[in-house]
Amino acid sequence: MKKLIFALTGLTAFIVVHALAEEEEAPLAPLEAGSVSQEDGLANWAKIHEVFSHPRCANCHVDDSGIPMWSGPSYGKTRPHGMFISGGETRIGIEFVQCGTCHGRENSPTPHGPPGNEVWLLAPAEMQWFDKSSQEICEQIKDPERNGGRTILEVAEHVSHDPLVHWGWDPGPGREAAPYSAAETTDSILKWQAAGAPCPSAE
Amino acid sequence: MASIGTIARRTFLIGSAAIAGGVAFGYYAYQRPVSNPLTDILGDGETTLNPFIKIDQSGVTIITPRADLGQGAYSIQAALVAEELDIAWEDIRVDPGPPSPSYFNAIVASEGFPAAAWDKGLGASALRGLGSAMSKFMGMQMTGGSTTVPDGFDRMRMAGAVARDVLLSAAAEQSGIAKAELKTKDGAVITPSGDELSYTSLAEAAALIEPPSNVKLKPESEWRYLGKNMRRLDIVEKSTGTAEYGIDVIMPDMVFATVRTNPRFGGGLKKFDASSAEKMRGVIKVVEIDGGVGVLADNTWRAFKAADAIDCDWGSAPYPATSDEQWTEAAASFTEERQDSQFRNEGDVALALDGADLIEAEYKVPYLAHAALEPLNTIVQFKDGQLDIWTGTQIPGIVIQNIASLTGLDADNIKVHVLIGGGSFGRRLEDDYVQQAVQLAMAHQGAPIKMTWSREEDMTHDFPRPMGMARGRGSVKNGKVDAYDLGIAYPSVSASQFGERYGVPLPGPDVTIVAGAWDQPFSIPNYRVTGYRVPPLVPVSSWRSVGASGNGFFHDCFLDELIHAAGADPLEERIRLCWHEPSRKVLETVGEMSNWGSALGENRGRGVAFTFSFGVAAAEVVEVTDTPQGIKIDKVFGAAEVGKVLDPVNIEAQMQGGIIWGLGHAMNAEITYADGMAEQTNYHAFEGMRLYQTPEIEVRALTNGPDLRGIGEPAVPPAAPALANAIFAATGKRIRELPLNKHIDFV
Amino acid sequence: MNETGNHMQLKVNGKEHEVEVEEDMPLLWVLRDELGITGPKYGCGITACGACTVHIDGMAIRSCSMPVGDVFGEVTTIEGLGTPDALHAVQAAWIEHQVAQCGYCQSGQIMAAAAFLEVNPDPDDEAIDRALSANLCRCGTYVRVREAVKTAAAKLRGV
Repeated sequence: MKKLIFALTGLTAFIVVHALAEEEEAPLAPLEAGSVSQEDGLANWAKIHEVFSHPRCANCHVDDSGIPMWSGPSYGKTRPHGMFISGGETRIGIEFVQCGTCHGRENSPTPHGPPGNEVWLLAPAEMQWFDKSSQEICEQIKDPERNGGRTILEVAEHVSHDPLVHWGWDPGPGREAAPYSAAETTDSILKWQAAGAPCPSAE
Repeated sequence: MASIGTIARRTFLIGSAAIAGGVAFGYYAYQRPVSNPLTDILGDGETTLNPFIKIDQSGVTIITPRADLGQGAYSIQAALVAEELDIAWEDIRVDPGPPSPSYFNAIVASEGFPAAAWDKGLGASALRGLGSAMSKFMGMQMTGGSTTVPDGFDRMRMAGAVARDVLLSAAAEQSGIAKAELKTKDGAVITPSGDELSYTSLAEAAALIEPPSNVKLKPESEWRYLGKNMRRLDIVEKSTGTAEYGIDVIMPDMVFATVRTNPRFGGGLKKFDASSAEKMRGVIKVVEIDGGVGVLADNTWRAFKAADAIDCDWGSAPYPATSDEQWTEAAASFTEERQDSQFRNEGDVALALDGADLIEAEYKVPYLAHAALEPLNTIVQFKDGQLDIWTGTQIPGIVIQNIASLTGLDADNIKVHVLIGGGSFGRRLEDDYVQQAVQLAMAHQGAPIKMTWSREEDMTHDFPRPMGMARGRGSVKNGKVDAYDLGIAYPSVSASQFGERYGVPLPGPDVTIVAGAWDQPFSIPNYRVTGYRVPPLVPVSSWRSVGASGNGFFHDCFLDELIHAAGADPLEERIRLCWHEPSRKVLETVGEMSNWGSALGENRGRGVAFTFSFGVAAAEVVEVTDTPQGIKIDKVFGAAEVGKVLDPVNIEAQMQGGIIWGLGHAMNAEITYADGMAEQTNYHAFEGMRLYQTPEIEVRALTNGPDLRGIGEPAVPPAAPALANAIFAATGKRIRELPLNKHIDFV
Repeated sequence: MNETGNHMQLKVNGKEHEVEVEEDMPLLWVLRDELGITGPKYGCGITACGACTVHIDGMAIRSCSMPVGDVFGEVTTIEGLGTPDALHAVQAAWIEHQVAQCGYCQSGQIMAAAAFLEVNPDPDDEAIDRALSANLCRCGTYVRVREAVKTAAAKLRGV
């Protein structure tokens, strides 16, 4: 087990550095509550949902089975990540088939090569988006139990600053990027919040 | 000492092996003895006793002219010689030897003629004899068709026995002891008093002794290697990263290189701009070659990058550019005009189907790439008028012919040094990659050049197994299969590979179009198999089990449909229909192994399939579970009739591998074309089987048949139909198109 | 790894090497073409086959897609795992079961198995499948891979 612990420690260090980097950025200011209409709020949520449900985001926001997905225009038929890959309980891979076995610090320049980032891991299981409706994801984003313990403003900051989130807009050659941009999505979250964070009705 | 080797009289071997093996070639002229190619290349202190044996001060080297692509060919060839020569396993050294017509493959060409291996009739033997004669004339030193063992069994044991005989004679002369009193053990002649005279010390004298015209081979009961589990000679190297493949060759002053050619086969290169590539770090030279460009650099990765940076203006494909158009062409080929063969036509199919409840089905199989894991590569050096080629190839003789005509060099100035292959599955029966490397070497003379394909180049330039289509019509009567009519349409492998690329167009029908379908040992009252030739599309090639790879699926699945329609048991009805005793035993054996008929439980199914190919009857039973996420292959049982088991552990490995190969491609692999180019560029889109999908596999080799057979291919064809039949049994869904994952998910 | 311009220090199989290459050259090609260490194989270049697997500080890594500039520790290739005269337990098990056919994927299979058994010395079939399904074998040696991993695990546990 020693080496696994070592590797985990290495990863934790990565995440800590990462978190520090995030804190150094200038904090976002929320918009004035009520300054955005309910209707515009829902329109902004629709944009946010387009991003969150996009394969570049949702493929790694999966349930507690820990199996990342391959889906979206560049992947053909939706299926679990090939090669029997599992993120495991740690969400960083299992027993030396860690995500980092293949996913490096940058996107592979070779077509169909592995995408990469400073950190590569699955989102926590409670933050599952894959296979969930717009309404379900919306309720989830407002619930600190299921959004990583964040206020909505902190969710906006996370989207605004987090390198792994930003990867969704820079996914490497041959992969369709998430729509809009980090800045636009952050902006949408702030507007949605100002409209009272309305959620669409269940489908 | 080397001069001894130039004595050109050790030339009896082929003839005597042929006689000892009881093989009648039919024409005495073809039994002319062949020369010993080793005599011309002996080094100092080396002696040769015949084309398969070289001896020097440090021991015996066995020449293994059939290439080892992973199937264990070197080990079994060495064992055949060593068994009779009597040398210790750990002292065996092997060398692929020089390409030479002396190492012709007498059996491989006979597969190209419509004589089913179970047919012992005079006509069939004569046809097969014609095949072996032609093979020899063509100097075909070919590895393929699962022939290494049957082709070498007599010939290589004879080589060992004859060499041992002259060594004994030399020892008798030297010691003054009567030959009959001498024995051999582990590379030495032993005198009655226990003195050892090593083969190395006797070799020079032995080479001067006239070899016997016949020798007695060991009875099977005295075999020490054959028939027992052998440790592969290459197993330590291959388990320690020390085996040297072509891609690993390093030579002083070697230049690294790659090529990029038009992914539309034959489309050519109109023009190119390499100005930015030429400026890239490490790039030595950009060279135009046939249909593309090559980059010479100081590192393979830099060559890859530079090749990608060349702006190429490719010509368009000289064939229908999309898979859809190609399928249209195939579908239009079931016509009298395109009929290629009708080797089976029994009873009266038309009459039987007239007014019967017609069962009709259309089947499809896709193009498949060989996609061996070692990307194709070749090392070439052109220096002082001499061209040296190091590569993994199954056709060294054809390589020399083709390179001679490409370069205008005399064949004597071209040397091919055969290396082990990191897989092949038939891909190394082509030499396009060798020709490219030679073009680079001619443009950059002196230094050795190692040309390596990127995986993308490899995948998109794989002359694939052809796509094909079959249309079945049949009927049942009184619970039995009554009429079976199968039409099969493929582009011709023989026309593409032999005609276009070997320069040896084979006359008559292309047997591979119907191999594994027309030659099945079943007696159905009305039984017809017709081959149709689709006009040339993408250039196609031989792929592990060739025609039978798709025809096993066509023939057996349609038979399964008829059996189900008849309400019969799939295994029982196949056994009832099968008239060939060894084949029936194979079916009975998988039935017994799989406990056929026992209850499997909820959502599970079991399918059986049978294919006779390469002289081997093979049957497999596949068990699957229909899970909510998709089909899980639980267990596979396989039985095959091989005549004689020479290396049990390797037969098991080859059967397991063949089954995995057949199942994996059936599950998820295909090559499709758009704009004339293969759409699958790497393993992400052409996966085959992975460990987690691998079922338990139990195999058994049977020995009830009269002929010794090779097992590299015959386990492949029944795998796909057994799986499809099992899926039908579990789900009621009859899938008639490969890969199966177009219609059902797998877990 | 210390870097000075394009000069990099790389420790491979216990030996220090200085290489002068682009930082984005994949580790695989530095090993193979610059250092002549050919045990790790090029199969796909996109981490789809695993033939290039090496260890970096004990962790299995696909060297084909790791830029040499990102190498974070000491590299071990199959040549450093064991030799014909001093086999690693995994290699001995591979020989015992005669796993290899063409053998081209086996360096990667063995390196992946060795790293895996370090953290899971007593794996069941499910764990073995999880650990080694990213290593592609075209010859179809998987049945024997499974058996050999179990034998190697027993050897390593001293059973």
